[in-house]
Amino acid sequence: MKEEQKGPEGSEALLSAWMKMANDFWGSMIKTWPGFSTSDGGSPAAEKEDKAQVKMKEAIDSVPSLPETVSKISRFAFEAYSNLQKQWLDYMGRIGKSTEGSKAEDVNQGPLKAWMQIYEKEFRPFFAMPQLGLTRFYQERMAQAMDQFNLYQAAMGDFYNLLYRPMEKSNRVLQEELASLAEEGKAPENFQEYYRFWLKTLEGHYMTLFKSSEFIQTLAETMKATENFMEARQAVLQDLLKFLPVPTNKDMEDLYQELYVLKKKVKELEMKLADGPTKKEKPAKDKLLNHGESGHSYK
Amino acid sequence: MEKAAIHTNKEEAEKAQERIRKARDVLFGPLNTSIAPSPYEVVYEEDRVKLKRYTPVTEIQFKTPLLVVYALINRETMLDLQPGRSVVQTLLKAGIDLYMVDWGYPRFKDKFLTIDDHVNGYMDHMIDFIRKRHDVPQINLMGICMGGSFCVMYSALHPEKIKNLVTTVSPTNFDTDQGLLHVWFRDIDVDRVVDTFGNIPGDLMNYIFLLLNPARLVIDKYVGFIENMDNRPFVENFIRMEKWIFDSPDVPGETFRQFVKDCYQKNLLIQSKMELGGRRVDLKKITMPLLNFYGQFDHLVPPEACNLISKKVGSQDKEDVCLDTGHIGIYVSSKSQEEFAPKIIRWLKERDAPIKTGRAPRKHRAETGTDQSS
Repeated sequence: MKEEQKGPEGSEALLSAWMKMANDFWGSMIKTWPGFSTSDGGSPAAEKEDKAQVKMKEAIDSVPSLPETVSKISRFAFEAYSNLQKQWLDYMGRIGKSTEGSKAEDVNQGPLKAWMQIYEKEFRPFFAMPQLGLTRFYQERMAQAMDQFNLYQAAMGDFYNLLYRPMEKSNRVLQEELASLAEEGKAPENFQEYYRFWLKTLEGHYMTLFKSSEFIQTLAETMKATENFMEARQAVLQDLLKFLPVPTNKDMEDLYQELYVLKKKVKELEMKLADGPTKKEKPAKDKLLNHGESGHSYK
Repeated sequence: MEKAAIHTNKEEAEKAQERIRKARDVLFGPLNTSIAPSPYEVVYEEDRVKLKRYTPVTEIQFKTPLLVVYALINRETMLDLQPGRSVVQTLLKAGIDLYMVDWGYPRFKDKFLTIDDHVNGYMDHMIDFIRKRHDVPQINLMGICMGGSFCVMYSALHPEKIKNLVTTVSPTNFDTDQGLLHVWFRDIDVDRVVDTFGNIPGDLMNYIFLLLNPARLVIDKYVGFIENMDNRPFVENFIRMEKWIFDSPDVPGETFRQFVKDCYQKNLLIQSKMELGGRRVDLKKITMPLLNFYGQFDHLVPPEACNLISKKVGSQDKEDVCLDTGHIGIYVSSKSQEEFAPKIIRWLKERDAPIKTGRAPRKHRAETGTDQSS
């Protein structure tokens, strides 16, 4: 009860304050426009616009007096929006901090990680919401696929960002090396030397990266995200194919597995049959030549 | 000085123009980029797997036929990539009766095939076929990369069928950090990968191999191509290599699962603890002569992954050969043409004692119902 009493007052006041702020802002914007300035000396056109402004302001100011239902809905929407905006501003601030005075490897990581935090907190719960109704299972799998797609995209972004890092490092090293060589008066004369130096540096950086635990972990996470997405996508495709007169991947897989087991059994039986009578008929020294005559071509 | 600089720039621009013109003629003109030109016939087929017998170019000098088993990654056409750099041609000219396994292109239905199916299934059937065809109790076996690992497993399980064993850049010891694949595969959740992908896509394998050294394989390689675009033989050889390197079949899921788990992660093979079809692969049971090649600069299968096998087998006659080359260079570099295949030929010749039942292969009615032999 207390919250209900408190909420409307707080949000109404906020809503009114926001309306006033927007009104004042646009009012001042309009005033700076020469044709619409009220201090212009009262030309007929200016007078007309001033009247329009006044009417608009009155309309905006009358918002709190709209029907209660509409007011409640707009209040609710405004509260949610303002909460979201506060959090986004907070995150943006964090992104900005993460890029301050950072090394090359952190510059691109910061926004990615911040975005993932936003995604995990703000968007992912929507996909995890329990679904209702007859088609709830299909909706859940679709939501799961969309969620996994986003995570997959993020993981791939992370991975490619990591792969790009040696390029940035090599470019920096090349610049520093060229600067020092230029100071000593030993700058290379042709492009080939620049290229060879840069390539060797790049190769070294890649070798260092690929053996690092960071890369192995990122690779593992990327693979996991890919597998999760493929699994979720497969589930959605299975649902779609169910409505069509075509066998699904799962159906074919089950079939192939049965075929594989059957073929193995048949081959074993054939070999037993081939060995059985020949063992009795032929002497032991020829056993090697007669073994394995079951090389069939199963078409 | 300015005039000299302008003059130099002008000369370079003219040279560049000339080069572009020549490159256009080369790229738009006829190019011979066919690979695997050596003729062969398919003498045996089972599911997607084929056994090729190469047409002899001279009288057969070796009593014992040689079966080459390539890896499941990429294609065996690399051994016959271009004239002058063909291991197949070198072996044929020496008078070896040469067979090669073509693993084909695995489809969705092949995802359940295990290492046991490949080694004790397809390989065993093909080896029996060759033995019967030539009326010999044993053949020579040579493996390339993962194919060599399969050959080691086979020779341990069926030593009575193998006369001489040659392994080339074949990973048998996976307890090393020298190769990036060894580092990366150690921690992957291979069950998840196989359950998600089924067969491991060839494109994914290509991507992983490019990632091993992107500076050289994605940038420098093509910079080199641009610099030599006006050189027809270079362009032809480059395109042949491109054709081969991106021709990657999928890898059957269950085979990949076991290979990563038992080899990369648990390193069971070199410890003689690996099992295929319930049978333990005991390296001490490899008692036939062994010739083991590896490359000093091999970044895919480093020397540490290859050079331990000779210490673990039961063979008395064994030899390690380390060449100053990389994983592919051992087969296609001009230097290796004089070191690699000729060494194999000499080594086999020394051990190719006459077999009592050795004679020319008799006509064999293939199981498909048609006579596929010449």
